[in-house]
Amino acid sequence: MAVEPTEAVLRLDQISRRYGNRIALDQVTLELTAGEVYALIGRNGAGKSSLAKAAIGALALDAGLVQILGADPRDDLKVRRAIGIAPQDVALYPHLTISENLNAFAALAGLSRRERAAAVAHAMDDAVCAERADERVDHLSGGWQRRANLAAAIVHRPRLLVLDEPTEGLDVETRLVLHRLIARLRADRTAILLISHNTEDVAVLADRLGVMEAGRLIMEGRPDTLMTEAFGGRTELVIRLSAATPSIEPVLAAHGLTPSDGGLCWSGTVADAFTHALEIEMALLWADVKLRELTVQPPGLDALIGWVTGSVAP
Amino acid sequence: MLRVMALSLWRDRAGLVLVFVLPPLVYVVFASVFGAGISGRLDIRAEVFDQTNSADSHRLIDALRHRLDGRLTLAPNVAALEEAIQSGRADAGLVLAGNFAEVKTPVTVLIHPGRKAAGELLTAQVNAVATQDLPELMLRRETARLAPILQLTPDQNRHLTALPQNLVPPPPFAAQQVLPGSDPLQIYYGGAVSILFLMFTAMQGAMTLIDERRAGLRLRQVLSVGGIAPLLGGRMLWLTALGVVQALVLFTVAAIAFRVPLLENFAAWSATAICSAAASAGIALGLAAACRTREQAQPVSTFIFLVLAAVGGSMAPRFLMPEMLQRLGWLTPHAWVIDAYQTVLSRGLVNTAVVQAWAVLFGFAAAGFAAALVIEGRRQL
Repeated sequence: MAVEPTEAVLRLDQISRRYGNRIALDQVTLELTAGEVYALIGRNGAGKSSLAKAAIGALALDAGLVQILGADPRDDLKVRRAIGIAPQDVALYPHLTISENLNAFAALAGLSRRERAAAVAHAMDDAVCAERADERVDHLSGGWQRRANLAAAIVHRPRLLVLDEPTEGLDVETRLVLHRLIARLRADRTAILLISHNTEDVAVLADRLGVMEAGRLIMEGRPDTLMTEAFGGRTELVIRLSAATPSIEPVLAAHGLTPSDGGLCWSGTVADAFTHALEIEMALLWADVKLRELTVQPPGLDALIGWVTGSVAP
Repeated sequence: MLRVMALSLWRDRAGLVLVFVLPPLVYVVFASVFGAGISGRLDIRAEVFDQTNSADSHRLIDALRHRLDGRLTLAPNVAALEEAIQSGRADAGLVLAGNFAEVKTPVTVLIHPGRKAAGELLTAQVNAVATQDLPELMLRRETARLAPILQLTPDQNRHLTALPQNLVPPPPFAAQQVLPGSDPLQIYYGGAVSILFLMFTAMQGAMTLIDERRAGLRLRQVLSVGGIAPLLGGRMLWLTALGVVQALVLFTVAAIAFRVPLLENFAAWSATAICSAAASAGIALGLAAACRTREQAQPVSTFIFLVLAAVGGSMAPRFLMPEMLQRLGWLTPHAWVIDAYQTVLSRGLVNTAVVQAWAVLFGFAAAGFAAALVIEGRRQL
């Protein structure tokens, strides 16, 4: 199934889905091209996992169109071979070994017996889990199970890979394995839809970013472009106090900071961080409030989500 | 899918024991308890209060104790005898009173209202002992009864009352002849226990559908090039094959332990086993597909299977049930399975009734599988 450089591997057009009164997906339109890593971020319940299921044709839609390589995966069984998914949970047969699992999924994807041996070996190499190939999944640690979960998603060399929270609970080494794997797959022109809460991973891996809220894709673009658009030259100012002090709160709020952690932490994006920091330090001195930590940093994706969803003022 | 399920079962040792060891064990227990009880080898325990305390009563007690294999003990008085029966220490009791040759009914059998069968059995044993082991006593009683009709001379009368104790007993009025063949109740319980466990085993296998849904495996499975139908079909085949092997193990034990004629009717047995295993697999898959969680599926399936087993005759023989329940039983696969096995193994026949049973069981299989296919298909998309 050859893919032209500019061809859309995944196209979602105005897709919508309701569960009773709750809107899971609301007229979402998205396009993902070969070799592109598209990260979906958003709060819990924003609709990310529903979108992932819709993208592989595993969710009945109320409206809209899903196309993978030009075909609807709900109707065209053959195009399903082009899809790989690593669900959030470890989706493997627990009593089978890693290689037996990969063999089973390769068979489900329609690979012939002869193709399977090479495909399984290749996937285990890519996900760096070959050394545990003959161990049962339920005997492996969480990190190895995650690697096997990834290997199962790529064993049939899909053109579209959906990764749902792939770094959830991973150790540093396994996260690096994932980063290298994504880099290799991107080089092989695999389109990757990455759903993650981990903003560090998203910042490093994503070519494009989509922010979801209440079933809608409310913003998308390149991460650096979105950051500039959201914050311009503003930086993030974070202040930690030794004790919550009601008398100083109006001053901090006047500088555009919002509280968290029971009033111990105040943060916000500001245009001239150092001037704000100086003024705040002076006010704290006057009020005899001890400052534990003051940080000036570029805004992260958490701040972007907050800004996009309206919980953080620019 | 077949290989995945086979490997999963092979590596689940506890599951293997439950599938292949437990059903034959339960069968042996059922067949031994119910088969023996209903087919005439009921080992009753009895107590006797001997008020007469004569040579005749001693002979009766000795002969009876011999027939009951020693399970006859003496009670010191009537109250103690009644207490033994009420408490269940004795299934029934005897009170021996008066001169055996003269009293009209010298033996009274005390029967617990909940164990009338034991009383009937003990009464029959007492009558048999009296006729076979005390023939001269019975003759004296008959002579006394018939004296007005026979009008015996004093010599004849003296001669009859002085009969020796080793008088040859009269030939039995009725003799038993057990026909060749195995006990139909052993076959009955083979079918009854087999279908009971087939259902539970199939449900355990089918519930992996729910586990796979929960673990996210279903997301991978729906991406298979064949879609959901071959996956369910593979599972159906596996559960059917597993059920046939389970039934084979159970009936092999039945053939060895109770001489159930399995080999002689193997072809017809195989068809019955395949149909019953397929029916169980289909019903289990339909139920597992309809349930969202294991927490739902476990109690729902257990309730349904126990009701089906009770009405269908897996727990107590259907011929002991009221007419209405017997008719209701035909709505369950159990009744058809038991009936087919009985006809095939007990009578060595493949008649219209057997073919009809196979068709009904195949219908259960097809309906269950179709339901699973529709429900899972809707859940998928």
